[in-house]
Amino acid sequence: MKLSSFRYIAPQCFKSMRNNGWMTAAAIITITISLFLCAFFWLLLLNINANVTDVEKDVRVLAYVDFDVVPAERKEIEQELKWIAGVADVSFVPKEQGIHTLEERYGDSDLVESLGGVNPLPDMFSITAIDTNQVSAIAEAVSQIEGIYEVQYGEGTVEKLLSLTDGLRKFGYVIMGLLALCAVVLIAMATRLTVQTRKKEIMVMKWVGATDAFIRWPFILEGMILGLVGAVLALGLLLFLYSRAALYVSINIGFLNILPLSAVWAPATGFTLAAGFLLGLIGSMFPLARFLDV
Amino acid sequence: MLIQTFNVGKTYKNGIAALTDINLSIDYGEFVFLTGASGAGKSTLIRLLFREEPPTAGQIMIGGRSVTRLTVPEMVRLRRNTGVVFQDFRLMEKGTVFDNVSFALKAVERPWPEIRRRVPEVLERVGLGGREHEHVMNLSGGEQQRVAVARAIINNPLILFADEPTGDLDPKTSGELMQLFDEINKEGTTIVMATHDQIIVERMQKRVLTLKSGHLIGDAVGGWQL
Ligand SMILES: Nc1ncnc2c1ncn2[C@@H]1O[C@H](COP(=O)(O)OP(=O)(O)OP(=O)(O)O)[C@@H](O)[C@H]1O
Ligand SMILES: [Mg+2]
Repeated sequence: MKLSSFRYIAPQCFKSMRNNGWMTAAAIITITISLFLCAFFWLLLLNINANVTDVEKDVRVLAYVDFDVVPAERKEIEQELKWIAGVADVSFVPKEQGIHTLEERYGDSDLVESLGGVNPLPDMFSITAIDTNQVSAIAEAVSQIEGIYEVQYGEGTVEKLLSLTDGLRKFGYVIMGLLALCAVVLIAMATRLTVQTRKKEIMVMKWVGATDAFIRWPFILEGMILGLVGAVLALGLLLFLYSRAALYVSINIGFLNILPLSAVWAPATGFTLAAGFLLGLIGSMFPLARFLDV
Repeated sequence: MLIQTFNVGKTYKNGIAALTDINLSIDYGEFVFLTGASGAGKSTLIRLLFREEPPTAGQIMIGGRSVTRLTVPEMVRLRRNTGVVFQDFRLMEKGTVFDNVSFALKAVERPWPEIRRRVPEVLERVGLGGREHEHVMNLSGGEQQRVAVARAIINNPLILFADEPTGDLDPKTSGELMQLFDEINKEGTTIVMATHDQIIVERMQKRVLTLKSGHLIGDAVGGWQL
């Protein structure tokens, strides 16, 4: 097919969109809503991820060392800890440093003296995991090592938080998938209606010897336009509401760490436009394959 | 031979045997009338010849190739060289005369300047000069029929199939249309025209194929054979 033929194809496409005005509007609105919600969920997940990563970074296993362990044994323990599968980093925190941290936290200038000249804290190792999901397994392994008398990590809370965000993520993906499906179905319905109202023209085109491509392009174009128009509307709505929400959250809910608009607008634009384009393309291909055997 | 059929039959899904055992040959440049009473199978034969429907028996060859075995590009090429005038016109009612006729050129991707030039020319030939911007809905039956003819001949087809193209025309206009067909035929287009207009058939003195209840019962030059 010749590129210049688009001068004949484009008007066909606009004409049928005008003739099926209601269907066109319904399809665009559905795409707008679906893409808006999709992108909204996606941004929500990005923000949850950003906040969770902050929390996840803090998830470490603390291993308290027996008081009678001598420095040479301590070196061995450290070696063993590093060998445990999934361990990212092991750092030794001597009790002097531990008490110093406590002093800072409670604003006491000399805690040891207040406690009667003895530092009651044990030495400890602070262990971080490569993957937060492995924290409990690592803690279990650490507790087996001789010379460690206690292991601590944010047991319940970490797991709950992780499973919560995991659940949210999965829920988000399912919702996004369903919404995309809705958009595809609506575009397919719009294209199908166009195929039906233009049945006669399609037949005439076939009889005078139009190529398959020439017959199909107006419909594909229609799908792509529906998808892109829906995407642009969804994007406008999304960025507007996001900037408002970001402002509101940063003023009123200080501890939440919301990504600034400048960090999300580019991927959001790419995501929405690409999704709209693809949905339009897929939506218009389905009915064509079924209704247009030439 | 341009068109050949071998023992062609067509039985519709409802069980009606519209055509039985049709054997015929049409050479390049011929002008052939297809006659027969209503329901004899004229439209069915034309539909088989331009492959709107497949035969249920036998073989149809066009240009030496079996039409049921053409590849898609061959099919497209054959259709570009075949003009069809339908008994029921099949125009786009919402469009103008120009929309309908230019559509045949747009669909085969001819350049725009050529379309602008050729549509008025062909309308002149069918006696609709200067009427390109009228809506086909507002035209009379005979005028619509001529729009359909214009659409069929604008591509200078090698073969023209016409199903009752004079059905809605008065004797004078149908005489003019037959004169046009004669000219086109002399320019090299093979014409197969279904009609039950005895006057036209007798006046034109062309080859006449006669169908009766789906059987080919006559093949002769000149007269009416029913
Ligand atoms: N699509 C169809 N489905 C079922 N039967 C059909 C179909 N088209 C035609 N027929 C039947 O096939 C037979 C031949 O019809 P056809 O239209 O070919 O006749 P015709 O010679 O063109 O008649 P007319 O002069 O009235 O146009 C008729 O009995 C008709 O009822
Ligand atoms: Mg007929």
